[in-house]
Amino acid sequence: MWLPLVGLVVGVVLGLLVGVEIPLGFVKYTAIAVLAALDTVLGGLRAQLEGRFDLVVFTSGFVVNTCFAALLTAIGDLLGVDVYLGAVIVFSMRIFNNVSFIRRDLLRGLAREPEPVRPAGDS
Amino acid sequence: MRFRPSRLQLALTAILLVAGLLVTWQVRVETSIRAKLRIPSQRLEELAFVLQEQARYRERLEAEIAALREQVERYEEAATRDQGAQRELRRRLEVLRLAAGVEAVRGPGVVVELRYSPRPLEPGDDPNLVLVHYTDLQAVVATLWAAGAEAVAVNGERVVSTTGLSCVGTTILCNARRLAPPYVVVAIGDPDALQAALEAEGGPLAALRAFQFPVRVVKVQEVRVPAYRGGFEFRYARAEK
Repeated sequence: MWLPLVGLVVGVVLGLLVGVEIPLGFVKYTAIAVLAALDTVLGGLRAQLEGRFDLVVFTSGFVVNTCFAALLTAIGDLLGVDVYLGAVIVFSMRIFNNVSFIRRDLLRGLAREPEPVRPAGDS
Repeated sequence: MRFRPSRLQLALTAILLVAGLLVTWQVRVETSIRAKLRIPSQRLEELAFVLQEQARYRERLEAEIAALREQVERYEEAATRDQGAQRELRRRLEVLRLAAGVEAVRGPGVVVELRYSPRPLEPGDDPNLVLVHYTDLQAVVATLWAAGAEAVAVNGERVVSTTGLSCVGTTILCNARRLAPPYVVVAIGDPDALQAALEAEGGPLAALRAFQFPVRVVKVQEVRVPAYRGGFEFRYARAEK
């Protein structure tokens, strides 16, 4: 499990080293995209802990969720509707959800309790 | 597994790398925005709207400035034209003031002194024979004008266009002022021409001299002719235009 963590660290370091100028107008979109990416990664972690991780689902979820979040925000801007607020709320809720499930999974793992069956369906 | 990572791990690594990159960039941009603008990016849109509005407002103001500047230019142009007209008017006014005699002037000319005759009157003599009459004075003044005098005064009274000399008893009235002898006429003009005209044969002085009136004509390089002190009142004469 250390290799993906190395990837994360390399990504952060790369982001720190490589200068990037996101145009001010796109900052909102990238923010939503980052939120979606964060949600997907946490969802993947949770799925991993629950033993039902699927690489294809995870990868497609990462790409599609990230792009779609940014796209939806852009569309909302075109329509004059603050759609990004909805995206922020949904992704935030999901992130909290995922974190809480991860926490429980970890606690359960520590207590060596049997895993209850939970409906699958995570991206 | 440690030395032969699975495809899953590689893919996960790539995705996490991208995620880390995205998050870091986002944080960096947001931080720089806050550091530079001191406002969170959520307010950017609102502020952009305000900025656009202000920019439009500024454009309007700039257009206004341009229009006003043009106006100022027009006014300045008109002002310079007016100044030219004003200078011309002032110049003409000066000439007219000189001509009207309301300004004291100085220049070369002559001083003429007329005195009563010192000849003692004998019984039966006409006293007019020893008095300087206003007609004598008038003749002198008229001769001076005719000889090209530009300014004339009698005993400090400027002779202007409305000045008339008349006789009141033994004194002469000039500009509603009584003049007493000796009569001193000062005139500005070509001294030689003025003197020649006065001394000419059959001139105004020749007759006086014939009756032994003490008459003197002195050419001077600089003489002062005072300004007319009275007022002008035109009750009948009207300018034609």
